Amino acid sequence: MKQYALVTLLMFAIPTSAASQRPGEPPAEANSATPSFDPVTQERLLNADAEPENWLMYSGNYFGQRHSRLDQIDKGNVGQLEMQWAFQLRALDRAETTPLVVDGVMYVTEAPSNVIALDARTGSQYWRYNHDLPEDLNFCCGRNNRGVAVLGDRLYMSTLDAHLVSLDAKTGSVLWDVEVADEATGYSMTGAPLLVGDKILTGVAGGEFGIRGFIDAYDVVTGELAWRLYTIPGPDHPDNMTWQGNSWRTGGSPSWMTGSYDAELNLVYWGTGNPGPDWNGDARAGDNLYSDAVLAINPDTGEMVWYFQFTPHDVHDWDSTQIPVLADSEFDGRQRKLMLWPNRNAFFYVLDRVTGEFLLGEPYAKQTWAEGLDEAGRPIRIPGTFPSVEGTTVSPPIGGGTNWWSPSYSPRTDLLYVMAYDGETTYYIRDDEYVAGERFTGGGGSTPLPQDNYVSALRAISPQTGERIWEYPVQPKSTAGVLSTAGDVVFSGTVDGFFFALDAETGEELWHVNVGSRVHAAPMSYMVDGKQYVAIAAGNVLFTFGLRD
Amino acid sequence: MLRKNVRPGLIAIFIAGSTGGLAIGLSAQEQATPYTTVQDIQSGQQLFARHCSICHGVDAAGGDIAPDLTTGEFQHAGTDAGLFNVISDGVPDTPMLGINRGRTDQSVWQLVAYLRSLSGGPRVAVAGDATSGARLYRDRGSCAGCHMIDGEGGRHGPNLSTIGDRRSPDQLLSDLVDPDERVQPHWWTMRVTHRDGTRIDGLRMNEGTYSVRILDGDDNMWSFLKRDLLMSQRIETSSMPAYAGTLNDGELEDLVAYLYGLTREDQGGAR
Repeated sequence: MKQYALVTLLMFAIPTSAASQRPGEPPAEANSATPSFDPVTQERLLNADAEPENWLMYSGNYFGQRHSRLDQIDKGNVGQLEMQWAFQLRALDRAETTPLVVDGVMYVTEAPSNVIALDARTGSQYWRYNHDLPEDLNFCCGRNNRGVAVLGDRLYMSTLDAHLVSLDAKTGSVLWDVEVADEATGYSMTGAPLLVGDKILTGVAGGEFGIRGFIDAYDVVTGELAWRLYTIPGPDHPDNMTWQGNSWRTGGSPSWMTGSYDAELNLVYWGTGNPGPDWNGDARAGDNLYSDAVLAINPDTGEMVWYFQFTPHDVHDWDSTQIPVLADSEFDGRQRKLMLWPNRNAFFYVLDRVTGEFLLGEPYAKQTWAEGLDEAGRPIRIPGTFPSVEGTTVSPPIGGGTNWWSPSYSPRTDLLYVMAYDGETTYYIRDDEYVAGERFTGGGGSTPLPQDNYVSALRAISPQTGERIWEYPVQPKSTAGVLSTAGDVVFSGTVDGFFFALDAETGEELWHVNVGSRVHAAPMSYMVDGKQYVAIAAGNVLFTFGLRD
Repeated sequence: MLRKNVRPGLIAIFIAGSTGGLAIGLSAQEQATPYTTVQDIQSGQQLFARHCSICHGVDAAGGDIAPDLTTGEFQHAGTDAGLFNVISDGVPDTPMLGINRGRTDQSVWQLVAYLRSLSGGPRVAVAGDATSGARLYRDRGSCAGCHMIDGEGGRHGPNLSTIGDRRSPDQLLSDLVDPDERVQPHWWTMRVTHRDGTRIDGLRMNEGTYSVRILDGDDNMWSFLKRDLLMSQRIETSSMPAYAGTLNDGELEDLVAYLYGLTREDQGGAR
């Protein structure tokens, strides 16, 4: 009897319109029976904004904007959001994942380096991939993984033991697994890879272990290395002179987040991290190129076209690994190709992304280390702000004015949204000796006052002036990324477990919910069967919210 | 996949700790660090700076990722042996890694000795008279109005039942003389006015973007949405008086001797 009923139902559910549905288009009728997942072509990645129901890469689109073109959830109804489903991750670490959604299938990563494929409507699992790791792995700051990349019917994940893995998007089977770097020498990988053309690009972490950073590109099909760009030039390059002696060999400059891409210019933009040892610059005199910089790279060849260094000779661990946000907007009275960058060093930068020209730089969070930036964008340091044996208190703190958690740019409001932190650290220096695979930091920090004395704020910044248009204070603090949407809503979260929505134009609070654990990831949005969802990882649970049907 | 070094020194601990590597299962262990000299503690501090400070802070007072290790209370260990295991092996499924490569039993025990030195350190002899100190605690000090010992006393200050395990005599004296020097946010106070006119003054138990929890002077528990408050004021000093003026040096020594004698070992016995 039951079987008979099921067969009947299935027959009713076959829609005639399903056959005409094309990749990237929502089904013509809600709840029509169409297979999930269509192979993701390069065309689809280049035009990700044209299919806002999907979230095809870490930041949503190649411009790194983390802006959803969906507007079913808007300022007027966001207050009615309800939880749709939750998915419990197995690891207790703070989840940092941004899921991808491809035609109704969601790909979530879980610490340390696992992937789960879910039905994006219900949170029910299709498959899971668990990556085997060595037991005595050394890494910096948590067993993190932030997401996968997709092309065709293949997924790509960077792993904590510095491998790059390609998985079958339909079953989770391993297609290939290559070692990017030797984890025993301190390399690890936590960021989502970036797919450009027929190459998969990945950075590396290990800035606290005396690595020499690089960005790699691999053939999407074979996993063969196509090119490697060292983020510290070798002795055959004049910029190697910005490192004293042999310090470049262990100079860090990792590349542990995801880059952005401008197809028209054919340039990939990728941020680099701190020089090492982090807090002791005595043995690495010089600017330490290209640490704490953004590199513009030709993705076909791996050639660096230009660079801009935010913090020359950094001694505070202010990685510039933020997501490069690309925006086409007015500047100085004309339309320009801009790059917006709220940096960990507490300055907000606007660059011309064609040439790397510095256009503007203003503090967006509390800073006590620079009088300002000169005409070329180079910081004018305040004397006495370097780490010391007795300790030197400076803002921003080690964690920065912001960090890796994504900012967002809304082309509708022409505002950059960033989670800023007005904190401070007492920075210490100590001698350190390089031992392969061990920490190589040359000092450290402590927080002079209890954490409750410092606050975060979500700030909306004008790309034209660097001015703060509005802010939304968060207490005790936030380490969450930001999503803006075409409904003119901005989403983010707090360390004490709240997920909230603001008016993108005014910063007015529209909604908040207690998700019970730290939000340490960035939100994303997608649509299935005509219904918009907003997803956020909190603690070790992925939550989705939507409006009642 | 296993690439761990074999550690013969630990075999005894693992046999006794029948729940495996988790330190919380080892509460019956009493094996203490055998490395307790000043040099060991210094070595432990250097190891801490290298391996641990990036998350726990140079002063071990905690950071964004990792907890404060200076309070004498540890989330995953009660004993030295438990600390040894956590430092060696880490805590599964959390950012807490074991120190892994290059570790030796000696280096781990030195780290344990350093951590213990931050919260009490090795037991020392004290000069004061604990019986007299107990009287001062009860009478002139009025300490029980705010502090609890073995289930008796107030709620507006830290429970002191095992304070002798966590604070050295010097630290206890400093707490009595200068209570404002290091006030954890949990012991801040708060004064609020609700929009219905109610005014509440009390211990700031917890506060976030949207709400605040307060324990008032009559031990009523309050939770307010901030949007309902007309006024709120945070007081970050200690609500405890400084005892330097009230008690003389000898009396302070006696009080310290009493408090220092409040240990887990002693708990349940005659105080």
